[in-house]
Amino acid sequence: MELDAKIPGGHLKDKWDRHRFELKLVNPANKRKFDIIVVGTGLAGGAAAASLAELGYNVKNFCIQDSPRRAHSIAAQGGINAAKNYTNEGDSIWRLFYDTIKGGDFRAREGNVYRLAQVSNNIIDQCVAQGVPFARDYGGLLANRSFGGSQVSRTFYARGQTGQQLLLGAYSSLSRQIAAKKVEMFTRREMLDVVIVDGQARGIVVRNLVTGELECHEAHAVVLATGGYGNVFFLSTNAMASNVTAAYRAYKRGALFANPCFTQIHPTCIPVHGTYQSKLTLMSESLRNDGRVWVPRDMGDKRQPHQIPESERDYYLERKYPSFGNLVPRDVASRNAKAQCDEGKGVGDTGLAVYLDFADAIKRDGKDVIEKKYGNLFQMYEKITAQDPYETPMMIYPAVHYTMGGLWVDYNLMSTVDGLFVMGEANFSDHGANRLGASALMQGLADGYFVIPYTIGGYIAGTSFPEITTDHPAFKDTAKEVRERTDKLLSIQGKRTVDDFHRELGLTMWDYCGMGRKDEGLEKAKKKIQELRGEFWENVLVPGNDKDFNQSLERAGRVADFLEFGELMVTDALARRESCGGHFNEAYQTEENEAQRDDENFCHVAAWEYTGDDKEPEFHKEPLDFENVELTQRSYK
Amino acid sequence: MNWFTNTLGSSIGKKLMMAITGLCFCGFLVVHLIGNLTLYGGKDFFSAYVEHLHSYGPLVTVAELGLLALAIIHVLTGLTLFFGNLGARPEGYKVNKNAGGRTIGSLTMPYTGILLLAFIVLHLIQLRFVNYDETMTVFQNVSNTLSQPAYVIIYIAAVIVAAIHVSHGFWSAFQTLGANHPKYMPLIQGVGIVFSLVVGIGFGLIPGYILSL
Amino acid sequence: MSETINLTLRVWRQKGPRTQGSLETYKAIDISTDMSFLEMLDVVNEELTVDGKEPIAFDHDCREGICGMCGVVVNGRSHGPEKGTTLCQLHMRHFSDGDTIFIEPWRSKAFPVIKDLAVDRGAFDTLIQAGGFVSVNAGGAQDANCLPVPQEDAEKAMDAAACIGCGACVASCPNASAMLFVGAKVSQLALLPQGKPEAAQRALSMVRTMDELGFGNCTNERECEAECPKEISISNIARLNREYFKAGLFSSVM
Ligand SMILES: Cc1cc2nc3c(=O)[nH]c(=O)nc-3n(C[C@H](O)[C@H](O)[C@H](O)COP(=O)(O)OP(=O)(O)OC[C@H]3O[C@@H](n4cnc5c(N)ncnc54)[C@H](O)[C@@H]3O)c2cc1C
Ligand code: SF4
Ligand code: FES
Repeated sequence: MELDAKIPGGHLKDKWDRHRFELKLVNPANKRKFDIIVVGTGLAGGAAAASLAELGYNVKNFCIQDSPRRAHSIAAQGGINAAKNYTNEGDSIWRLFYDTIKGGDFRAREGNVYRLAQVSNNIIDQCVAQGVPFARDYGGLLANRSFGGSQVSRTFYARGQTGQQLLLGAYSSLSRQIAAKKVEMFTRREMLDVVIVDGQARGIVVRNLVTGELECHEAHAVVLATGGYGNVFFLSTNAMASNVTAAYRAYKRGALFANPCFTQIHPTCIPVHGTYQSKLTLMSESLRNDGRVWVPRDMGDKRQPHQIPESERDYYLERKYPSFGNLVPRDVASRNAKAQCDEGKGVGDTGLAVYLDFADAIKRDGKDVIEKKYGNLFQMYEKITAQDPYETPMMIYPAVHYTMGGLWVDYNLMSTVDGLFVMGEANFSDHGANRLGASALMQGLADGYFVIPYTIGGYIAGTSFPEITTDHPAFKDTAKEVRERTDKLLSIQGKRTVDDFHRELGLTMWDYCGMGRKDEGLEKAKKKIQELRGEFWENVLVPGNDKDFNQSLERAGRVADFLEFGELMVTDALARRESCGGHFNEAYQTEENEAQRDDENFCHVAAWEYTGDDKEPEFHKEPLDFENVELTQRSYK
Repeated sequence: MNWFTNTLGSSIGKKLMMAITGLCFCGFLVVHLIGNLTLYGGKDFFSAYVEHLHSYGPLVTVAELGLLALAIIHVLTGLTLFFGNLGARPEGYKVNKNAGGRTIGSLTMPYTGILLLAFIVLHLIQLRFVNYDETMTVFQNVSNTLSQPAYVIIYIAAVIVAAIHVSHGFWSAFQTLGANHPKYMPLIQGVGIVFSLVVGIGFGLIPGYILSL
Repeated sequence: MSETINLTLRVWRQKGPRTQGSLETYKAIDISTDMSFLEMLDVVNEELTVDGKEPIAFDHDCREGICGMCGVVVNGRSHGPEKGTTLCQLHMRHFSDGDTIFIEPWRSKAFPVIKDLAVDRGAFDTLIQAGGFVSVNAGGAQDANCLPVPQEDAEKAMDAAACIGCGACVASCPNASAMLFVGAKVSQLALLPQGKPEAAQRALSMVRTMDELGFGNCTNERECEAECPKEISISNIARLNREYFKAGLFSSVM
């Protein structure tokens, strides 16, 4: 299979303009003749469903939660980037583009990233117009803060609840279209398969999570905006329902999965504190603006933080990276935290934590200022840990947070299956091997508000669609397969619960395919996952039946997919014989323990094709060409 | 006028009617209390006040009809809200606990309201719908009535009930009217409490005074 | 430091929307006080599953107090006894060994029970659809800094916008009223210049829809404010009232 990213020609700056001109248009009056399925109501899905309906298409929108407003995007805290340069620091579209490419360790497409930077400004305009209450300065203009991996303040924020406010903005536009009957909303539905007719994605099979009924829905195009797969690690900062099922089912139907091993481990999360733990909580990266990261200078120093004098503390990020200091990109910050803990300098009961200290910031700016910026985060920290971060430094440790990998898409956001589009965290496109903070919100909204509305039109206008209904055999067959799988899950009636399997898979992934990877570990993980998967299908215990609100059954289906997908991640990690961004193979590092890329052999997107159960997936390569930036060893010194 | 009934017919509209009529009653209580305070000036002073009031002739009737209209609106709207609210939670909680928002006043609003209505009817029968002449002056009737221990108990109880009703009703009316301001709300709430105390004490002391005559 | 406690749970179990439910008793043994309330329920559910029983259905997703998906009434208190805390952020350290905990679903005509502790809050979506938006299509917006917004207004709008749509206000209101939820959305948009053009239409339409959906009438009990996990102030209800009267009596919107 030849992977054609369909990047338009011309200078980087003109590509998107040119493409928009070259894309075929659907006549406004004809748009109402086309149905589009959008799965997901996060920033990407919500924005897309609303915008497509505004254009006149008939949209069917699906989500797992009881309301579109609860998609996982709601949890994003820190902010959203845009190249507005309101702060007069010399920011520009080009700089945002460059920072993103470099932050991604040169494993993203120039064309996509440049477009992202271009539309970033429109996003802020759109959100403000929707009534998103971004933070403002005294003069009433928008305020900015800085985020990791950048030396300019370009992050717009709404306290520590930026994702919530942006999502509620998209949700309000979506609600308006639901009221106008242009979007038909299906909540508490889980997509369990896509339906492909004559090579075109023409519909989906979903389970109604309340009644258990399987429903078939047809359309002219299917858009997946189903989020990331971080929960393959069991413990992550993702919401409990985040899953890989939708993307993985599409993969099994022929969509290629790109760079699955690129996962982001976020440096500032509340450390793990018990085996019963169900999820990890992120403390926004924005905290690194004012918080200073440190560990005791000496190994095994068990004193309380305030008993450790300045001279016996090691502010290791400031020491090692004087120009970026605490604001180095996430992968760098995480790896350094791990390295400190591996050296025995970790703090807290488990020794798996470092301090994030606000004492200096409070001394400098006053408690009020700090409270205004981070009040809700501090409160959240205190609720979970029962410690007051105004008084004692926070303890933080890296945790799985974001997945750069995802379904392969071209410049139009279309996967290798015709008519199957993928947006937001579910696709692989814009962040390379490491995503910069505040760029996921930007990408989700860019895809939804400003990219898919054009590119889907181009697809529809240039495609002929055979008339079909859900009576088509493809729907019947797909639904039958889905039903058989569900029946199988319920019929095993083994001894171990779904969560038990999930937890074990997560630990395996974390230990062997987490922050630092080794070939032996990866090989071992592969074997362990296969065994665990084998046991799952013989020994899982799923109570209840399928004609009901059955949360165990929901989770069982997702974990079953994680058990296959985990292996794909490991396969990808093994194949990428270099370190870059979030993929750190310990065999490939510089003398200063930074990720050592191999641009000669691995400057490409690895896209995997499903070839059958228990068969090795087939590798496809999309080479990455850099015409505008020079590939350098990333340095944040 | 559809827009008018639509606006007043909604849940907030009904609350508006409760608030406005309620505040009118608060005003009435003030006037009534001031009038009653003339009792403390002795029989002649009080009679002069009654005389003065009656000199307004038909205006008094108009005022009375106005009060009746307010009462009808207040009671009927209140009952509609009460029954509507019962229906909004068909299945109740097994365990109920207050989170600190409710007060005795707010908790008992419908019940204190009904008790007050009953009392007002009694009060009117006893003091308003009486044939006053030389043999039975208003002052005599008041002092006779307030000398009966049973009535005094009912009267004092009613005054306390009124104070409780007002303790929530007063600030609540302002909240409903939208007058919630960080600077003034504490003041309004304070005035509400003081007002309910003044009503309670002002009316409540009258029987004591009468008995002491 | 964490310790472990044992608890007795009295949990509302109800098979479906149209079946009768009842309180059932379960033991929660060796619960670490570092667990969240939902993690405690997870532990109980794991045991129920292994014992061949149906686990307790309850809604949850983000588990960090922002999605608004979780929420049950714990001993008569929505989201439990802690102020400004969602159920998922309530930790077991606030309970003592030997406690009996009553766990019931949100109760309101507008939020029918789906199963056990999960309820249908679709009415909130219907409310937002009635007008909780600004009518701007993607693409047409002017530069974000064209309209300055006084910082104070932006902050107040953000205070209101912090609502997570959990429904605790309805659940805790003695009248099952949705005024705090509606007040928060109407206020957010009334405070910002972007929301002003449609303010009258929004206030009228959202209030009418609220009444139609079967929510109760606000009688200023303030329980919503006391229970709201985001501590949304009832001054937003007062603002809703103002907006409503302005719209109903003085605007030309019908
Ligand atoms: C704690 C946290 C903080 C973050 N902070 C930031 C930040 O400050 N800045 C930033 O830029 N990024 C941040 N991120 C990352 C960012 O929030 C996400 O990457 C982004 O929101 C993903 O949006 P999305 O629309 O792609 O998917 P999601 O928001 O995850 O939405 C997925 C949607 O798909 C639906 N869905 C999934 N599977 C199915 C299925 N099988 N069937 C039907 N529906 C399905 C879900 O119901 C949901 O509606 C943060 C992430 C986390 C976890
Ligand atoms: S106002 Fe508060 S209690 Fe009500 S839905 Fe919003 S966050 Fe929940
Ligand atoms: S689970 Fe999201 S708010 Fe509790």
